[in-house]
Amino acid sequence: MTKQPVLPPEPLTNEAIAARLTNTVLKSLDKGLVKKKNLVYLELNGCSGNIISFLNGQNPDFEYLLNSMVNLRYSNSLMAAEGERAIEQLMNSLDEEYILAVEGAVALKNNGLYNVIGSWKGKPLTGLEAAKMFGEKATHILAVGACATHGGVSAAKPNPSESVGLNQVLPSKKMIMLPGCPVHPDWFIGTLAHLLLYGEPETDNLSRPLMFYSTLIHDRCPRRPFFDRGIFAEKLGDKTCLFKLGCRGPVTRIDCPTRQWNGHVNWPIGDDTPCIGCAQFGFPDAMAPFISYDTTRVVKNE
Amino acid sequence: MSKRIIINPLTRISGFMEIDVLVENHQVVDAKTKGNLFRGFEQMLVGRSPFDAVYFTQRICGICSSAHSMASSLALEDALRVVPTEQGRYLRDIIHCCEFLQNHIRHFYQYTVPDFVKIEQNPLFQSDHEDFRLPQSINDRISKHFFDSLPISRSAHQMLAVLGGKAPHNHGVFIGGITTQATAEKVVHMDSILDKIIVFIDEKMIPDVYDIAHYYPDYFRLGGGYGNLMTYGSFNHYQDLGTLYVDPLISKMDSGPEPFDENKIQEKIDYSWYKANENSYKPEEVVAEPDMDKTKAYSWVKAARYDNLPFEVGPLARLILSGEYDNGISAMDRTIARALETKKIAQIMKTLLKQIIPCVDVQKKWELPESAFGRGLVDTTRGALGHWLKINEKKISFYQIITPSTWDFSTRDDSGYRGPAEEALIGTPIENPDKPAEIGRILRSFDPCMSCATHVYIPGKQVKTIKVF
Repeated sequence: MTKQPVLPPEPLTNEAIAARLTNTVLKSLDKGLVKKKNLVYLELNGCSGNIISFLNGQNPDFEYLLNSMVNLRYSNSLMAAEGERAIEQLMNSLDEEYILAVEGAVALKNNGLYNVIGSWKGKPLTGLEAAKMFGEKATHILAVGACATHGGVSAAKPNPSESVGLNQVLPSKKMIMLPGCPVHPDWFIGTLAHLLLYGEPETDNLSRPLMFYSTLIHDRCPRRPFFDRGIFAEKLGDKTCLFKLGCRGPVTRIDCPTRQWNGHVNWPIGDDTPCIGCAQFGFPDAMAPFISYDTTRVVKNE
Repeated sequence: MSKRIIINPLTRISGFMEIDVLVENHQVVDAKTKGNLFRGFEQMLVGRSPFDAVYFTQRICGICSSAHSMASSLALEDALRVVPTEQGRYLRDIIHCCEFLQNHIRHFYQYTVPDFVKIEQNPLFQSDHEDFRLPQSINDRISKHFFDSLPISRSAHQMLAVLGGKAPHNHGVFIGGITTQATAEKVVHMDSILDKIIVFIDEKMIPDVYDIAHYYPDYFRLGGGYGNLMTYGSFNHYQDLGTLYVDPLISKMDSGPEPFDENKIQEKIDYSWYKANENSYKPEEVVAEPDMDKTKAYSWVKAARYDNLPFEVGPLARLILSGEYDNGISAMDRTIARALETKKIAQIMKTLLKQIIPCVDVQKKWELPESAFGRGLVDTTRGALGHWLKINEKKISFYQIITPSTWDFSTRDDSGYRGPAEEALIGTPIENPDKPAEIGRILRSFDPCMSCATHVYIPGKQVKTIKVF
């Protein structure tokens, strides 16, 4: 199934030969461990921040993903082809088995014309059409990031593009939900690895993989002792519990406190700011206001 | 004989974009650039807490989210009458530096390089044109660097997270500077990564861009445009350090730089699917209503103008206006400028890191005014970015965003001017209209971000494919 690319004449320096041997061995090893599958990655109505986040992955990184895990068939951000030839590659992937990953919401307004992802046979291909077409035939579907899982920021009120989550246009299809804004590369690549190595991961009743989404931030927060003793931050930058500044850790199920971000160096609470609940369904509207200096205030119109 | 070429999608950009050009005798005679997604952030922001603008507007764009946190924080500081401390500015600008490094390295290697270099390692990078001119050894070296660059751009985002909590969509940039405090450990964490990034820029990125330029010299004559340049200023007006990069300046055609005046910024909607009482207005006056029945409109990108003229923004504009680059204005000059600017930004970040006093807390319990107006203008990775906001009853009552891509990829206007990128395509010789390499190369030299040009979407009509008239 994997096609070997035609390679240019190979350089014959010792270094080049050594690199080639190592790569071949590594590849064979990886092939024994992981059977590569096709991946179609669709970016729909959103900020394309999930694919940027996924370039930020470390162990596994993007390079490992490409070499050892998947044949990436389509990616608007990364592929070399453009125009109808790019869409042709997308359409060709329909002839094979593939896993579908979608980031961004599905815009419904004007029959989907608020989000056109390309042109096919002279007609605009909307995100709506592509989501349905590729969702129907996929062996597995991953909704990557808040916009894909439930509309996210693209569907924030008054939702001018009438954006919805992927499951709204594929109601009968099973899909794995990976909410987050953006998704952490480990949540995405880790879920993909589970699919390839062991099949579908165990999920909760909202289809989120338990290996990442099982526990509330609040239950594992390093600042929990301050909460328990009633010591609260009064402004950003304070080192105590951020609950009274609007922290959504108590309602957000995700492993940020232990995993952390960008090579595990920091996370929003580590930056002395409240969690804004970006990995919980309902983000952003259900999590607003993100920052308030007195949560015990009386609010109008809320 | 004329031929119409549609490229949709223009891949290797952030967001979705369509190009519609008319070619006569193998030369581009007309061009339209259109964005293909619309979310409507300005409408979404109305009624929200002003503090939420900083995290909310970052979601406009995944590759340049910090830019929006910068502009919204500046606009809020203006509205709340907060003057950040110098330490606050340094820390915030360090986060912004990290984003420049991440963006420019990714834009060059992942988005630009596949236009000129055959990358054979994976079918995903297989090109659909045949104009590849690099000798095999150079081609192989740069394709290897395509992959070598990945840990480097990733580490730029790691530096960002050290002060900003996470990336994309950081939590650090805020009113007053940043939310947290720098410690010695954080400063050396960043500085250690930065040293490795500088070695990569010096030893790989800059030699690679000049090698590409050497084998594609015709691109020094392609993709010029009007030659009007603008910057809102970048890493400038520090109390002790002065200006490390460039002050707010503009230059028209061939005349020298003159001071930038923010009162001359306009949005025009003559050819965009919007209605308002006027077709030309100041950014703080109107957020125009959608209107799809407007007959002469062809896009939902508005036309950002300065003194009634289109202006190019971005790394090349900044380097020329700061007097550090004088080779010319073309697609290749833009790409070289982005690489040279990467080095410049790394040096600025080095300087800023040296100014950091550990454990300075720049946060306060900020108070919202009943009503206020504020604007934040700042040059970001792709050029001039502006946020204009109004507060009423302590809520956002108005929000206007003009992104760099709204300048570079703006529509034409009633004075007959095209947008800068449209104009840059005019006159381009197209060698093979069935597989045009030239158009994508020229447009990518601007680093389009259609996620940012949020006002944009397809005009609701069916798009025609390549069609011989």
